[in-house]
Amino acid sequence: MKKILHVALREFLSTVLTKGFILGVLVTPALIGFMVIMMPMLMNEEPPRIEGEVAVIDPTGEIVQGLAAYLKPEAIAERRSETQAKAKEVMEQIPGGAANAAMAQPSLDALLGDVPDLDIVKIDSGYDLDAEKDRLIGGESGPESRLALITVHPDAVRRVEGEETFGAYDLFVREKLDDRIIDEIRRGMRTTIVDSRIRQTDLDRATIEALTRVPRISSTTVTETGEKETNEVLNMLLPAGFMILLLISVMTGGQYLLTTTVEEKSSRVVEVLLSAVSPMQLMTGKILGQMGVGLVILALYAGMGVAGLVSFAMLGLLDLSLLFYLLIFYVIAYFVMASMMAAIGAAVNEMREAQTLMTPVMVTLMIPWMLWLPITRNPNSLFATITSFIPPINTFVMLLRMTSTSPPPMWQVWVTIGIGLLSVWGALWFAAKVFRVGLLMFGKPPNFATLIKWVKMA
Amino acid sequence: MSDAITLNGVTKTFGTKVAVRDLDLVVPTGAIYGFIGPNGAGKTTTIRMIMSILFPDCGQISVLGHESALDAKDRIGYLPEERGLYKKMKVGAFLMYMERLKRDSGTGSRSRVRGWLEKVGLADVENKKCEELSKGMQQKIQFISTGIHEPELLILDEPFSGLDPVNMRLLRDLVLEQGRRGATVIFSTHVMEQAEQICDHVIMINDGDKVLDDSLTEIRQRFDPRTILFESLEIGADVTALRSLPSVVDVTRTSAHHEISLKPGSDPGEAIREIVNAVPASRVELHRPTLEDIFVQIVTEGGNSALSLENLRAGLRRESAAGEAS
Repeated sequence: MKKILHVALREFLSTVLTKGFILGVLVTPALIGFMVIMMPMLMNEEPPRIEGEVAVIDPTGEIVQGLAAYLKPEAIAERRSETQAKAKEVMEQIPGGAANAAMAQPSLDALLGDVPDLDIVKIDSGYDLDAEKDRLIGGESGPESRLALITVHPDAVRRVEGEETFGAYDLFVREKLDDRIIDEIRRGMRTTIVDSRIRQTDLDRATIEALTRVPRISSTTVTETGEKETNEVLNMLLPAGFMILLLISVMTGGQYLLTTTVEEKSSRVVEVLLSAVSPMQLMTGKILGQMGVGLVILALYAGMGVAGLVSFAMLGLLDLSLLFYLLIFYVIAYFVMASMMAAIGAAVNEMREAQTLMTPVMVTLMIPWMLWLPITRNPNSLFATITSFIPPINTFVMLLRMTSTSPPPMWQVWVTIGIGLLSVWGALWFAAKVFRVGLLMFGKPPNFATLIKWVKMA
Repeated sequence: MSDAITLNGVTKTFGTKVAVRDLDLVVPTGAIYGFIGPNGAGKTTTIRMIMSILFPDCGQISVLGHESALDAKDRIGYLPEERGLYKKMKVGAFLMYMERLKRDSGTGSRSRVRGWLEKVGLADVENKKCEELSKGMQQKIQFISTGIHEPELLILDEPFSGLDPVNMRLLRDLVLEQGRRGATVIFSTHVMEQAEQICDHVIMINDGDKVLDDSLTEIRQRFDPRTILFESLEIGADVTALRSLPSVVDVTRTSAHHEISLKPGSDPGEAIREIVNAVPASRVELHRPTLEDIFVQIVTEGGNSALSLENLRAGLRRESAAGEAS
């Protein structure tokens, strides 16, 4: 036992105390922090004010005036400030969003950009369409430059006799026109055409708007402990967060285990070690050491996540017992993964050869990603229940289900844990056999058939 | 005194190839045993079985009174043929780690590590990384890691391969010192000279079979000299007279001298007197058979072809020739 601990300690320290590890662990959060700080700064950069003319060919004669009114700089500015007020209101409804709203204010301004100065020009009959289009070509800017050309269909406001639908319009724009301007023009055309059409009937616009308006309502979740507003985004992200945390910590430890095992084998230090410890002691020590490495990662990232939730006063959304299950699932998933890595590491002579054997392991680890959406949407479907019992993905699926809006019954959780422990036992048994035979085998890299042969041999 | 190692009818096959066939072996406590044979003879396989790294297909092994070396690991120092160091680890830390793994108490001692490093003339490398050392230095570090916990039994697989003569002598003295301390030493080599210099008992193995198991003295007696080296006093003297002597079978000329083969059963002392009387000599010397000669003789009796014998001789000398050249 002492020997196992010595091996584990060396394995842990020689991994954690390398520059690569320290950088790797710190770089990710540093990058995220950098993004958080830099993004608003980048977005605050003001886009240049856009000016130019929008030409309209309007056979109906009812559009130009309305569009000109809609695209007046004052009108655009007014609409933008309304949008901002609404966004702020929405942000304040989200728990912890008030702080965000304040932070988001300047960048929202920047997102809308400086109000453009658009000159609406009506083109009278007797024009040459191609010549008009040609004026869109050429990069010069200024009040004279043409940004867009609109040709309104003759039946855009009044239907042709016997037709079901109205006509619309065609929009031609110059190269690299800011998509926010295009959006403004589209919305302006839509509003103006609809207004004109309504004027043709006996209806009045206000009534229609009132009739068709139903505000978007956020749902309220009713639970034993009371009612709380449903946070749909968080409901989707929480399972993903937990799953990624599990994957990253399992992968890191596993990957390091593979690397160090291959290194020990290729540098031929392994037989020197085997003079002091048995293969089983060596493998157990290495697996435990790298489990520590994974735990460091898990604790670090989970700690950051919890700290983040606390700082946004959203900790209430997280059931803390989930962290306990995260730990249990980590241990199970890690042991299965680590056994495979130890076996692969012992079987090959160098990292390059490990790739072929790694492929099935990697594909298996991709499955939880594919299951994330279907399982969070429908956490208690037959499919979800069955997959949460199939190793080696059972722990990932169960974690997705537990962090979803309707967690599975507890007995299923314990069945998953039970199956997980059995799979750990099986994986360790397999790995121990391959490890013992593989460690001293040099030469042709084995395939899975050879591994099976070794298991039978050992 | 009980025996340090006993092997009883041990056989190991890899696929269709028999690596070790029905091997019996007894190594008494405190002895220095040489385990010799050409490359691929089965030496490493046997040693790995003794160390319980491989397991025999049949037969029994007992090491220091245990059925498996695993039960006595802390009392054994094993230097494998395939050996390396942790490249990124510091020499001192590596030796401490190895001692901690090997001692029952699980403790390492910095002063012991320093003492050993001084003994092999590497006192200044304690804080260097293993990858910074030359191959010879690394080999010495590996030897230290084998003996640092003062084991009762040392098993050294090709301990001298790749060493220059100076370091070979240094390592040889360290091995002999371990023997004086009372440790049982087994070491394998395919270079017969090394075995002649160190061990008092030799086990020869060829193609998985044990072909010789005797003390060096007995071996020399058993394979009594049949060859006399002769150089005439006058350069280019006529030596035909020697051929007609009663105890002489044949005279062959080599570049430097003549080799005189004697009849079986003849007395070498008598033959030397006859030779000196027949032709004046500057040098007459009874040629003692080397282990290499003996080995080749044994294999010849097994009916090997001349070509394979030449290869065999080359294989048994390669290491020493390289050593002498450097």
